[in-house]
Amino acid sequence: MLPRTPRRRIALGWAMGVLFLAAVTAPAVGISRDESVYFEAAEGYARFWVDILRAPSQAVPLADRAFSVNREHPGLAKEVFGFTHAVLSSGLGLTSHAEGFRFGTFLFAALLAALLSVWGHSLCGAWGGVLAPGFFFLVPRHFYHCHPAVLDLPETAVWFATAYGFWRSVGSGGDRPRSGRWAVGTGLFFGASLAVKHNGWFLLPLLFACWLLSALPAAFREGPRALSARFPVALLAMGILGPLILLAAWPWLWHDPVSRLRAYFVFHLGHENYPWMYFGTLLRAPPFPVGYPFVVTALTVPAAILVAMAGGLSQSLGRIARALRGGEGVSLPTEVLLSANALFPIALISWPTVPHFGGVKHWMPAMPFLALLAARAVVSAGQILWPRRPGLVIGVLAALAFAPAAWQVAHTHPFGTAAWNELAGGASGAASLGMQRQFWGDNMVGVLPALNDHAAPGARVWFQEATWLAVREYQRDERLRADLAWANGPEDADISVWHYHREFLDKEFRTWTEFGTTRPVAGAYLDEVPLVQVYARPGAWR
Amino acid sequence: MSDRADYLGPTYKLGPPSPPPPTRGEVWKGRIRGLLFPPRPELGAFLFAAALGALGAYGLWFSFTLPGRFPSRIDWRAAAALVARDAQPGDAVALSPPWAERAREVLPERLPLRPDLPLPILAFPSYAAEDLPGIRRVWLVSLPRAPGAASRIARELADRSSSVDGPQPLGGIEVTRYELREPERPLYVFPEQLASASVQVGDSACAPDARGGVRCPGRGAPVVARETREIDFLPRTCIRVSPSGDPGRPLTLVFPDVPLGRTLRGHAGIAGSAGLGSAVPVRLRVSVNGEGLGEWEEAPRASGWRRFELDTSKYAGRRLQVSFEVTAAKAPRFAFCFDAATLP
Repeated sequence: MLPRTPRRRIALGWAMGVLFLAAVTAPAVGISRDESVYFEAAEGYARFWVDILRAPSQAVPLADRAFSVNREHPGLAKEVFGFTHAVLSSGLGLTSHAEGFRFGTFLFAALLAALLSVWGHSLCGAWGGVLAPGFFFLVPRHFYHCHPAVLDLPETAVWFATAYGFWRSVGSGGDRPRSGRWAVGTGLFFGASLAVKHNGWFLLPLLFACWLLSALPAAFREGPRALSARFPVALLAMGILGPLILLAAWPWLWHDPVSRLRAYFVFHLGHENYPWMYFGTLLRAPPFPVGYPFVVTALTVPAAILVAMAGGLSQSLGRIARALRGGEGVSLPTEVLLSANALFPIALISWPTVPHFGGVKHWMPAMPFLALLAARAVVSAGQILWPRRPGLVIGVLAALAFAPAAWQVAHTHPFGTAAWNELAGGASGAASLGMQRQFWGDNMVGVLPALNDHAAPGARVWFQEATWLAVREYQRDERLRADLAWANGPEDADISVWHYHREFLDKEFRTWTEFGTTRPVAGAYLDEVPLVQVYARPGAWR
Repeated sequence: MSDRADYLGPTYKLGPPSPPPPTRGEVWKGRIRGLLFPPRPELGAFLFAAALGALGAYGLWFSFTLPGRFPSRIDWRAAAALVARDAQPGDAVALSPPWAERAREVLPERLPLRPDLPLPILAFPSYAAEDLPGIRRVWLVSLPRAPGAASRIARELADRSSSVDGPQPLGGIEVTRYELREPERPLYVFPEQLASASVQVGDSACAPDARGGVRCPGRGAPVVARETREIDFLPRTCIRVSPSGDPGRPLTLVFPDVPLGRTLRGHAGIAGSAGLGSAVPVRLRVSVNGEGLGEWEEAPRASGWRRFELDTSKYAGRRLQVSFEVTAAKAPRFAFCFDAATLP
């Protein structure tokens, strides 16, 4: 049964489309280091929730055992992964193990697509609903993040949902009456955000600041009472429901919430700095370049989409200025909310002491807001430039933005962590610029067929950046031969899988020494740039 | 108004000067100002659409032309066949851009006509100051149309060459051969002769181990081996040493019967990134027939493949014993690497 309104139909279409496309393209994506740990955690968490139904009195000891795995992140996303895996893979046998876990991410991606479409529709009509998700999902790195069962896309989705709920709760920027139901919904989404990843903690102060900035002009006009009269119930709901949901969804906290929460914060406040390439320099320790997230965004988002996002952000900032000057027809709360959410996550990572690694994923919560603004900018341009036939202008602009982006998505798949845009010159241009070539170890997927075809029976393989858990998952899903054994270094390996990382070059050269050869037997390349190369001892490759 | 002329004659007061005609720059400034101010939505929308359209068109062009800018499999095979046919002893291959390391998978690793000799494939970012001992000719395999390709490496090699043959286009690859103007022909390369060296820690002799290196007795079981290691992000084939950590028991490598010329040149550095967290300096002392020739200290927390050059002209033409003595105040947690060669 289809939804009745076009708004909902477009949103449902996007959600189903993203879900389908992610599911179809996921098998090609390799298992990253983090993902392999989340698989392990997710399976244990799902088992815990089943066990607790059988023995509720054993909840705390069971929780401690199950949730000690990957306790540096809260449980919700991994519980969703565990649930989808339990149903689709273990229960119904419909999917592989990896696909079962990843279905959780597909669901978050579908939620994000639907919300983007709905909000886009609210902001600028049907074209907004059609275009907004495209501006997000046609960025190759975002498309990549729709696949792995990791925390970044789920966090982006629930962050966006929280902001959307907040916007609805305060009356959609003044277009509708305030909604208590959406205030509760905001609290629930905020709780989900806290329960997925620590980024969520920034949402409450950010949304409070957005409200305050929007309410200040009225406070100046009408006095401070205007502030208390307009205080959003959603912020209260967030303050109450958020911690409760975090606690409910993360049984690791049940035993000793205070000290475990403290340990959680201490871990993230002192997070290790992984070495990271940036214009030929290996960044190892702070202070990091302030421009890093801005530059990396500019070199990874397809250029036309980047322009649309920049144009949309400029338009929103211009509208804020107009509203502050008393201009009519502009919703200051809406513009402040959109602009602040589009800028804050990027600005946060630009802080010189915040670890700079992981490509764009750490500021990905900003990107749906930029996508939304991009869609509105394109729609506005069409309406202004040709008021009688805006659809034609919008269609042409959207095609010019989306066509090269779609090509880039297809071209770089499944090596999403290695995707760079045309301004960087693609993967090869970025390699010449000295940018980070890849991360997470999942691009080993490109040499799995060669390993399966050519490795000698029982060969010991040094997988390097791929974790033991990832290798086990590949073997469990029959993507890697079960007879291939784990080696700890080149000394006890017959085959070595070298993942290009500048900081680990010594691993490649030790392999040359140990194997007596500098000649790889296979490799995975993107635009001729080596991502993974396989070396073998004489006789180990047939 | 009277028609009569002023009785004082024409006025002596000049009127205000007429303003000078605007310059071309001022005319354009005025036009641009008129266009931009007051800001109009039409202009903003037009500029936005133009920028989006231009970058979208560029993106399409980039996408459609990208695959044709890289070599095909057959191009790589052609390059491999060319190098395999014409490579000679003393040849090496250089890559441009240096990341084009698919070449390692495709090009021959050894000379087809002399399988006992390697054909080194070099992926250095610069050749301007790079020592190239034993190399007479360099085959530059370049991807000229790849995004990010540059001609700097070709220029640097050309500056060091007496003649240049090529470039020969092979689809997406160009192959150019450079004859080095002053090839270095080392008389003796120490890492290659490690098997002939005797190694000892203090007074205790070390014994060859099963992995082709030498393992010494005592605390920490110091190891000496010929390895290729990463130093300052580049592969360096060197003698890897882990000193004992007891300055009274230096690790000594003695190479007998070394032909000497006018110079003994070497390099030293710390392998990988392990040295960055260390505070232990390593000292390398070089002697000829027991007579000290020079000393080198590798500072901790430093990266680099630093060069040292010692004057051996007074021994030139003779075959003598050369020893390297390595000491450290504490057993370092990193691998210290050095190479050396005698030059005519």
